[in-house]
Amino acid sequence: MMITKIALPRRTFLRGLGATVALPLLDAMIPAMSAQSKAAPRFAAVYCGNGANMFDWTPPTDGAGFTFSPTLKPLEPFREQTLVFTGLDNYQATDQGDVGGQHPRAAPAFMSSVHPKQTEGADVQAGTTTDQMIAQQIGRDTKLPSLEVSVDRNDVVGACDHGYACAYMNSMSWKSPTMPLPAETNPRFVFERLFGSGNTPEERLARSEEDRSVLDGLTQEISKLKSGLGAHDRVKLGEYFDAVRDVEQRIAKSESTNQNVAVPERPSGEPESFREYAELMFDLQVLAFQADITRVSSFMLARENINRSYPEIGLPEAHHSISHHDNHPEKMKAYSKLNTYHVDTLAYFVRKLQSIRDGDGTLLDHSVVLYGSGMSDGNVHNNYNVPVVVVGGRDLKFKGNRHLRYAKGTPLANLSLTLMAKFGVPAEKFGDSTGKLDDFLSGV
Amino acid sequence: MSGLRRTQLIAVLCLLAPATYDAQVRSALPQKGSAAASAPAPRAVLDKYCVTCHNQSLKTAGLTLDALDLTQVSSHAETWEKVVRKIQTGAMPPAMLPRPEKAAAAGVVSWLETELDRGAREHPNPGRPTLQRLNRSEYHNAIRDLLALDIDAAALLPADSAGYGFDNNADALTLSPALTERYLEAAAKISQMALGRVRGSPAPESVFVPTDRDQSIRFNDELPWGSRGGLAFHYFFPVDGEYEFQIRPTQGGAAGGYRVAAGDQIDVSIDGAKVWTKKLEGPLFAGRGRGAPPADPTDPAAVVAAERRLAGRDKVVLEMLRFRVPVKAGPHLVQTYMVARTEAFVEDLFDPSLRREPYRAQGPTTLSSVTIAIPPAKNAAEAPDSPSRNRLLVCHPATAAEETPCATKILATLARRAYRRPVTGEDLQVPLALYREGAAKGGFEAGLEMGMRSVLVSPKFLFRFEGQPDTVAPNTPYRITDLELASRLSFFLWSSVPDDELLDVAAKNTLHNRAVLDQQVKRMLADARSEALVENFAGQWLHIRNAASFRPSPELLFHFDDNLRQAFERETSLFFDSIVRENRSVLDLLDADYTFLNERLARHYGIPGVYGERFRRVSLPADSVRRGLLGQGSILTDTSRSNRTSPVIRGKWILENIFGAPPPPPPPNVPTLEETRDPRKVLPMREQMAQHRANPVCAGCHAQMDQLGFALENFDAIGEWRDIYVSGAPVDASAKLPDGTAFNGPTELRKVLLNHSDEFLTTMTEKLLTYALGRGLEAADAPAVRQVKREAARADYRFASLIQGVVTSTPFQMRMAQERAN
Repeated sequence: MMITKIALPRRTFLRGLGATVALPLLDAMIPAMSAQSKAAPRFAAVYCGNGANMFDWTPPTDGAGFTFSPTLKPLEPFREQTLVFTGLDNYQATDQGDVGGQHPRAAPAFMSSVHPKQTEGADVQAGTTTDQMIAQQIGRDTKLPSLEVSVDRNDVVGACDHGYACAYMNSMSWKSPTMPLPAETNPRFVFERLFGSGNTPEERLARSEEDRSVLDGLTQEISKLKSGLGAHDRVKLGEYFDAVRDVEQRIAKSESTNQNVAVPERPSGEPESFREYAELMFDLQVLAFQADITRVSSFMLARENINRSYPEIGLPEAHHSISHHDNHPEKMKAYSKLNTYHVDTLAYFVRKLQSIRDGDGTLLDHSVVLYGSGMSDGNVHNNYNVPVVVVGGRDLKFKGNRHLRYAKGTPLANLSLTLMAKFGVPAEKFGDSTGKLDDFLSGV
Repeated sequence: MSGLRRTQLIAVLCLLAPATYDAQVRSALPQKGSAAASAPAPRAVLDKYCVTCHNQSLKTAGLTLDALDLTQVSSHAETWEKVVRKIQTGAMPPAMLPRPEKAAAAGVVSWLETELDRGAREHPNPGRPTLQRLNRSEYHNAIRDLLALDIDAAALLPADSAGYGFDNNADALTLSPALTERYLEAAAKISQMALGRVRGSPAPESVFVPTDRDQSIRFNDELPWGSRGGLAFHYFFPVDGEYEFQIRPTQGGAAGGYRVAAGDQIDVSIDGAKVWTKKLEGPLFAGRGRGAPPADPTDPAAVVAAERRLAGRDKVVLEMLRFRVPVKAGPHLVQTYMVARTEAFVEDLFDPSLRREPYRAQGPTTLSSVTIAIPPAKNAAEAPDSPSRNRLLVCHPATAAEETPCATKILATLARRAYRRPVTGEDLQVPLALYREGAAKGGFEAGLEMGMRSVLVSPKFLFRFEGQPDTVAPNTPYRITDLELASRLSFFLWSSVPDDELLDVAAKNTLHNRAVLDQQVKRMLADARSEALVENFAGQWLHIRNAASFRPSPELLFHFDDNLRQAFERETSLFFDSIVRENRSVLDLLDADYTFLNERLARHYGIPGVYGERFRRVSLPADSVRRGLLGQGSILTDTSRSNRTSPVIRGKWILENIFGAPPPPPPPNVPTLEETRDPRKVLPMREQMAQHRANPVCAGCHAQMDQLGFALENFDAIGEWRDIYVSGAPVDASAKLPDGTAFNGPTELRKVLLNHSDEFLTTMTEKLLTYALGRGLEAADAPAVRQVKREAARADYRFASLIQGVVTSTPFQMRMAQERAN
């Protein structure tokens, strides 16, 4: 199994620091998996930090049959399932008296519509995010309620803003107002989360039986320990207890559902190029949807304040630097070029979802993909009229091919509330929402 | 009061900084003698210069100094620490208002500090640490020390988030379900590795060569003379058996295919003994680097045929580079390399950038990765003799009846080390239950594996519990036990569990004796494990860890490769290590007369006479621009953009890490300066930066930050010296701080920094204490910081004296009782 399979398509190769390792992810396993897939709805959120050049992002015409803007062009093949939203404010990310923190606040506010609290201590606080609200609704029966991934290292020293815990920069998904979900960057860890350890069904079964015994013992130990502790320590240990419970349930679910899944070869290492890395992470999400291991995912495609550069498309300057274009025409062009590249990477995901049969249609028909940024013009850290697009959702009666424009002051929370409603979340209010986006729902 | 300090105030003032320790508290050594005696009474000074604004009717900044009783300074410690800092840095009174004489201000500061320190002695406030989880590097080191096993932690566990600059911050170390799964996986894998049990079909593991490594020369000391390229790595072989190796050459350019050249010879050695060799010969390699190209590139059939040839050739190449070697269980050094030939690679000499992938499609063979496959269970020898087994198996049952007692002994020994304290029968209940379950299914060692797995996921191992005596009332301070102190020591100095000697001393309750403690600290610093201070403390404080992710822009920087990246990391690590090992003054960090170089780095620095890959100590003359941290490539590159220097980032780095006064982030809606991509069109840096001073909102901080950075402008974005910019314009490294202090270039900047060594010492002490405690500092910790500095001053600020000060400080030795849970 260690030998590269020459015949596999290039895309399935994982470049790990220069070497090519076979990763026959999708194609090899479609038959095994589609058989058991249900036509359940899925939700995927993809976040791209540092805003966008809105001049090139916003479509020049509104309504049905709108003209695609240069940045959104890569999504044109999916026009019928694409909705562009203009005029929505990520108001809760604005400073509101805080010092600094424009970047750390942008992502947590994007899907929570709650103002993230300025702190570097244990008292981090934002709000439960849209994906997690949806996961509570539709993620109960799957092995994983949700999956969080990223392609940006979270251990670069000095990369988090002074006065803000790193969790704000690293986490776009919050399970509760005080629980940011760490995003996994190692494709192999993501893989093992989805499929467990072991290379054969027997090995996996043996492993999960053993793990269950270990977890049983662990639960006993934690319960005993708890009684002798002070209040603070007890809360902290409770975190472990809850996590153990969570894993136990997951093992039980996977034992009952995943016996016959043909597990692809596990990836090793992280691909060196951004595009291959991002595509691999998208592949893993598609795989998780396809095998119904989870129905909700979130992907930090580019973290806020990130300094990744993109020499492969002729942009040696760092992403964050590029976003501070100072209205210089050439730099704004570079900014748009990068925005377009990110949308093009998203289009890879959409295409993949569309290529896979699921129930009575394609996986894309049953998926809603939310893509956007917590800032509009990154140059001035503007949180008003942020770039947002939704692709998919045919099965939920989303009517695409429209560019919807909203009045000044419409909160982004209204979109979140509307999306949540479509997934059956019984919320009347979310963050600073003022109501649902009726026109989006009615399809007028 | 120094000029620089006074200007720092502007950095503080220009925006209301978040209420963190940094902004609140900053103090220096008390003045010599009793300034307070000759200076006016504190109350009078405060009334004259402070209370005008900070009184009960105006309440400026919420501060009512007239209402505070000066006979009770310590009961409002937080406020007074703030006052100390504001006066000391010159932040207050504001520039436009009358200021006290220097002596009067110093007198107030000194008096307040004395009062605050006395209050802290009388009513110690050690703070309350959060229950701390082991982070990834602590876990790695703990496994190394428990089981004599060097695991690849990054392949088992995710990286941890940091808080207050360090990834051992208890508040930031959360525990998610995803991490719990990783712990389960790691425990299973580690137990099997330690026992040498191969189960099922373990996944092969690959080690990669960075794509931008220069493989035309010998890479480092761990590779043999006469070799070029390739890689050396330490690998743990879990069992005695036949391991399958697969070497992969680098992929070629756009056409694909492996890049291999006829006549090249690839060798593999284990611990220095050659175990395999292959000379690349035959018609297969005629194409020098790729398969024969299609005869007619426009003919699809010819292209397909060429691709087939290529694929077929690659398959043969891979088969040639796959082999089996018997290896004894345990850790070994694996060396994979090409044999150097005398032929010169002309293109490399002309332009090192051509070495980079994927720009060069042809050339001599280079390697991309080595994959090692563990033999399947049936091919592995049972019960090999390995360091891990020797450490773990403290008994060997001869009969079935001896099995359970022996397992108990083994697990008790492991648990004592893992839980860092004597174990009780209760501690062993769960591990033994799992042992019995495993043993019933698969025998003695299967049982041990399960028992070990339960120890390795136990909260007693993963968390650092510190108890609380029943007699202590909530919110009162108490001394931690000797065993707890032992753990604090070992995690601080070794990032690992205590060893048997430390545990024994602690178990006898003698560790808190100053003499015993000093002796243990001395021993621990001398031990190789204290290298953790370099890797984790300096690695994060000085950002050495970031070197691994340096990716300078290939378009603009032609002089960077993996060899240089590794050399940067090594230089600063060795440099800090020398301060630790030789117990030097920490001020040497700013101005030592030596550094550590190999040929690659010396060439980069323009220092002659250093040959070979080995790093060695090199003396630096007094006027050398490379003296001290700020002459080192790791820091100069870390503080640059990928394609150009940034005086702002460098200045900020100095403020943050040398002066301990991080500037607040820029206010909202202020665009950054224009950054033109083409270096030939760049506005002279000075002109760009002048815009900072034009805008008063920016000027407050930038007037200082930019100037500090200007002095380093001769170092380009990868720390190479330059006298002119790409544009041809001369580099101007002159700088002038708002108080008039003028300096030019790195040598003079160093003198300025040395003149402010007190700020540096405070910063370093604060960073050490933050790291030692695993929490952010608070106002209540300021007396401890002053105390550490005072004691270290008596020992010329030698490294060990700072460490000794930290480990004997109140917050390190005590903790505050928390409310009891119901």
